[in-house]
Amino acid sequence: MDARIKYSLLLVGIGIILAFLPFNASDSFLLKSDELLSKSTSSENSFSVDQVARMVNKEDSTMLLIDLREASQYKECNIPGSLNIPFSDLLNPLWEGTFNQKKVKKIFYGNGDQTANYAWAIATGLGYKNNFVMKGGLNEWFKTVMLSQFKGEKISPIENALYETRFNARKAFTQVNSLPDSLKSRYFKAKDIKQLKLDGGCQ
Amino acid sequence: MGVLLILVIIRNSDQNVFQEKAKTALEATRNDANIVSFDQVKALTAPYLILDLGSAPRPDSLLFQHALKITFSQLLEKANRKILNEAKGELILYADDVPTASRAWVILNQLGYKNLRILSFENIPEGLKYKFQPDTTSRLEQDTM
Repeated sequence: MDARIKYSLLLVGIGIILAFLPFNASDSFLLKSDELLSKSTSSENSFSVDQVARMVNKEDSTMLLIDLREASQYKECNIPGSLNIPFSDLLNPLWEGTFNQKKVKKIFYGNGDQTANYAWAIATGLGYKNNFVMKGGLNEWFKTVMLSQFKGEKISPIENALYETRFNARKAFTQVNSLPDSLKSRYFKAKDIKQLKLDGGCQ
Repeated sequence: MGVLLILVIIRNSDQNVFQEKAKTALEATRNDANIVSFDQVKALTAPYLILDLGSAPRPDSLLFQHALKITFSQLLEKANRKILNEAKGELILYADDVPTASRAWVILNQLGYKNLRILSFENIPEGLKYKFQPDTTSRLEQDTM
């Protein structure tokens, strides 16, 4: 058979196969459903607000808090050091560098538990590693960190350490979120630029 | 080429491969369109199946007529998949906690199940219940800007 016919048949064959491929791998889940289910049932993919508060106080560079709320809510108040990726914008290719940081713990939070767990399942399904959820979201943060008060006469060393962690995190949260709007915008812009640099992008 | 064709057929017939695009999950959750309240479920006249993913027994007040208990870890077992495939009308997920229901919803949504809802007992599941009170006397150090 003529070589040209052979190559033509081969190309037509490949074309047919590509046409029947079920999806575009880049925007569909890479994990299989049983793998995602197994990861979903693990208890090791969430942090309590106290654990997050400790990381915030230490300015832990191995974690990245991702605030999934809309920009207006994020501007009103957010956990210091967090990056705003609204849930509706989660699949924007702009964030690929952020999600691809394998050694950084990406900790999702919303106001409650729902959006963060959607985002966790989507990011994990898409094959990104090291995804976590802050249990209870910002509502739990307010309840536990912002409104915590010590009641009683004696305080144990463990209670004292916990209270101090919450106090310091509360102080940082209040300071950052109490900035006037103009300074707040500059602060968030500086954070975004720092994040882009970490992702290997440019300004 | 034959090998490639066989691989494609095998991949397509694998029930554990997600078929949907991730963006369908984002679109379906817009404005909480995938959330259904207790009262809405009670008022449903069309066929539906409640999938109870919890492990604890329910009190009588939270028992539904068309409920089926499947624990989350067994959600994708062959027999359970068959039940889900044959279910008519809405498929309503009901779990002990929000994370379980949310993750189960994403998995089933991406497997292509339609008319999939989450039963929620809160009117606005993602509402912020607290209001931040700024402290106008506090200022960050200039060098942190």
